Amino acid sequence: MDQYKGKKVVIIGGTSGIGLATAKMLVDGGAHVLVTGRSQAGLESAQKELGDGALVVSSDAGSLTDIDALATRAKAEFGTFDLLFVNAGVGLFAPFEHTTEAMYDEVFSVNAKGSFFSVQKLAPLINRGGAVVLTTAISNVKGMPMLAAAGATKAALRSFARMFAVELAPRGIRVNAVSPGPTDTPSWGKSFPDKDMAAQITGQMSEANPMKRLGTSQEVAKAVLFLAFDATYTTGAELPVDGGQSQL
Amino acid sequence: MDRFEGKKVVIIGGTSGIGLTTAKMLVDGGARVLVTGRSQAGLESTQKDLGKGAIAVSSDARSLTDVDALAARVKAEFDTFDFLFVNAGYSLFAPIENATESTYDEVFNLNAKGPFFAVQKLAPLINQGGSVVFTTAIANVKGMPLLASYGGAKAAMRSFARTFAVELAPRGIRVNAVSPGPIDTPLIGKSLPDKDMAAHVVGQFSETSPLKRIGTSEEVAKAVLFLAFDATYTTGAEFPVDGGLSQI
Repeated sequence: MDQYKGKKVVIIGGTSGIGLATAKMLVDGGAHVLVTGRSQAGLESAQKELGDGALVVSSDAGSLTDIDALATRAKAEFGTFDLLFVNAGVGLFAPFEHTTEAMYDEVFSVNAKGSFFSVQKLAPLINRGGAVVLTTAISNVKGMPMLAAAGATKAALRSFARMFAVELAPRGIRVNAVSPGPTDTPSWGKSFPDKDMAAQITGQMSEANPMKRLGTSQEVAKAVLFLAFDATYTTGAELPVDGGQSQL
Repeated sequence: MDRFEGKKVVIIGGTSGIGLTTAKMLVDGGARVLVTGRSQAGLESTQKDLGKGAIAVSSDARSLTDVDALAARVKAEFDTFDFLFVNAGYSLFAPIENATESTYDEVFNLNAKGPFFAVQKLAPLINQGGSVVFTTAIANVKGMPLLASYGGAKAAMRSFARTFAVELAPRGIRVNAVSPGPIDTPLIGKSLPDKDMAAHVVGQFSETSPLKRIGTSEEVAKAVLFLAFDATYTTGAEFPVDGGLSQI
């Protein structure tokens, strides 16, 4: 497989779940990939899983200092590159009555502000004909319990996809979003450390979904790569990978 | 290429433009394809173009009698099949003041009523794991001059994609829509027989499009095939192939 031969890709939040699955498909297809993550354990296991085709870099997606350093690193490693996948995101499950200012600020600083400045700092390095993909979420268009703050961060991100698309169009760079529904990733388990509760919510989510199951990281990754490399006349759009949940 | 080996596909409106291009990609990938069209010349050139992997069938997408006959023919040829692409459609460009009941009915019969009954009659023959794709249009979400009845009919079709998706989900069939913006197909010439006016409109469309060009049939066909075979956790959705026009 050399579908992605010669492509250079930066994935912010690429050490687990959807980001890691996307990185794997790219490395398998011959691309050079730089992925970021925060936890030392995650960085090490991602490096092992991805092998020599990938650079795994420690970077906090919510820190503007780290984003500056990441841009410098991407420039040093790649010069320029072809795809920026902004995938880092933190979950916050809390009724809005119990959401504190600190909780609110944390989720907005990673999901919205960090993403905004990542694109600002890295877009100058993206080649003409390249693309940006942002990971939004169906909570951006659906009212869902416990997701008031997190859903709003993703709504901001959805809007960035449109705004960046229009500003980057003259440079020949497309910007789109992929919107996962419930997806079977490690962060799903992390959001619900209690195993019984995780199993119960997984069961409920499957039941509530028109396709009666969760999605897989691979299904989202395929959509990301379609938007990145094949959807050459699509920009500013959002593609749901949600079993129909945002539509039905 | 045997990406579509063993797949059986029905394309309503497959003798030119987006439908024909999609049929070609499928035949090249090893699929068996039944395409419909109305004009004898179009059917003959399509059969020649597509070769033995395809069956070109005369069928008027507006006629419920023809839709019934088509279902019988598909059953005889394929028994069951994997993918139904409901692509027939065109617009009559007219200001609201000049629309007559008969132009309104023609546009709605072709773009809404015909597709509704085509899916009703053909869905029982679609295999579990199969899918339906409708061709909507950005006029379904944008106010655009001269396209009032067409935009309304395509909005109806967009709604069918959601409702059919929910009704067909228990049978494991996904339903999505592709929404082309201005695309370089023979239809542009047909809708605007005056060559100067056609060139003028194409120029205007290119200028208004954020990507500063009109799209190609190949770009839409790639999206159709992605929705049909790769987007296994996406249903009820609409994917724009419009250079960003509906979003920006």
